[in-house]
Amino acid sequence: MNNEGIDASLLFQIGPVEITNTVLTTWVIMALCAVVAGLISRSLTLQPGPVQTMAEGIVSTIEAAIKQVAPEHTRQLLPFIGTLWLFLVIANLSGLLPGVHSPTRDLSATAALAILVFFSTHWFGIRTQGLNNYLHHYLRPSPIMLPFHIISEITRTIALAVRLFGNMMSLEMTALLILLVAGFLAPIPILMLHIIEALVQAYIFGMLALIFVAGGIQSQQISQQKQQDKNSKEIS
Amino acid sequence: MELNSSTFILEIINFLVLVWILKRFFYKPVLDVIARRKAGIDDTVAKADALQKDAQKLQQQYEERLADWELEKQRAQRTLDTRLQKEREAQMRVLQADLEAEREKEKVLIQRQLEHDSQQIVETALQQGAQFASHLLSSVAGPELEKQLVALLVQQLKNLPAQQLAQLRKVNGESDATNSSTINSATINGSTANAATITSAYPLDATTRQALELACKENLSVKGEFIYRQDPAIIAGLRINIAAWVLATNLQDELSGFVGFNHEH
Repeated sequence: MNNEGIDASLLFQIGPVEITNTVLTTWVIMALCAVVAGLISRSLTLQPGPVQTMAEGIVSTIEAAIKQVAPEHTRQLLPFIGTLWLFLVIANLSGLLPGVHSPTRDLSATAALAILVFFSTHWFGIRTQGLNNYLHHYLRPSPIMLPFHIISEITRTIALAVRLFGNMMSLEMTALLILLVAGFLAPIPILMLHIIEALVQAYIFGMLALIFVAGGIQSQQISQQKQQDKNSKEIS
Repeated sequence: MELNSSTFILEIINFLVLVWILKRFFYKPVLDVIARRKAGIDDTVAKADALQKDAQKLQQQYEERLADWELEKQRAQRTLDTRLQKEREAQMRVLQADLEAEREKEKVLIQRQLEHDSQQIVETALQQGAQFASHLLSSVAGPELEKQLVALLVQQLKNLPAQQLAQLRKVNGESDATNSSTINSATINGSTANAATITSAYPLDATTRQALELACKENLSVKGEFIYRQDPAIIAGLRINIAAWVLATNLQDELSGFVGFNHEH
């Protein structure tokens, strides 16, 4: 077993920029998403067909899921979280295609996504609460918690990246090993597990990202505060 | 399992670009369509609510109108019932009166019919009695009886009231005057105008005829001739016709007079 089957292979290089099969697969996925989105957006009507119904179902489901966690910031978080889910599902499942390596079995890709989640947490938090308020939450409930908050931010980001990478890589490696040992058609049950795992991991990654971002913008607290204000107004 | 910086940076850029693409070409249009549809649905629901409210209002108005109509109907029904009752009572009164009148009329008719029947019976009985008497008297009558009746007639002529005698004489005088100015041989009802026709059931002998003629001339001033006839139908006795007058002393005329008397009364 060599690293050729597991690691991303360099396809070509544009100056200092190395183009790996991870990047290429990502571009293909992006192109596919862009084309499908363009086709769907062109044919949108008030009387939906099957494709539009499916698209609306996907968007509505994502919106509902985000609304459960961050009811006040659904529209704000939808593009980022929704794209995470869609990209991860497609990227995870792309590994099932013969000759295609899933981008998520590359630590560089999962790390990039984890870093994006890390920064978007702060970005949405600062946008929503302002820099001072956002930074203050690291000192709550006590300034002693500051180091733990910082460690938590780092470790959860690393965990996010490594979890997805480890799961997807291990699945592909398992399938590869079974294929090497048992031969043709033997890895099919593992491939079926791959489908489930791909969906589960995409869901976990997206949901964790949503929870992190919602925690950063204190969405639940804001919602509770608004609810309390509303109740107090009704009582008064 | 190496971290490739190029891949790392390109993946970040790629994902951000994908976020922009999907936001621009997928989420926004789809959400807009959903929002438009939801707005349309809300609008339709609002219109449906408005229609439902209108319908409820109309239904309420209709029910109120129905209730009003029901009240009005009951009122009209009561009025009609009252009017019908009055009309019925009036009709019943009229009918009762008509019935009463009809009953009264019927009673009168029955009464008249009874009286008529009774009269008929009496008349029939009298006629039968007369016929019986006539039959009986026919068998027992004879010239002797006739003689007695002639004697009775002669006696009655003598005893006639003066007023009646005057009337008879006046009639005989008028007929005599008329006869003097016209033809003496003219006849009325088979006899001459101033003649006295004496009808008897049996032949009269000369003595009886002379006694009769004398009594007629003296009491009735008969100046014409005397014509004698025989008619067994009178059973016994005489019938004297003088102009329009008839002097009857016979059984047949007495019996008829008896029946006629009852009829008159």
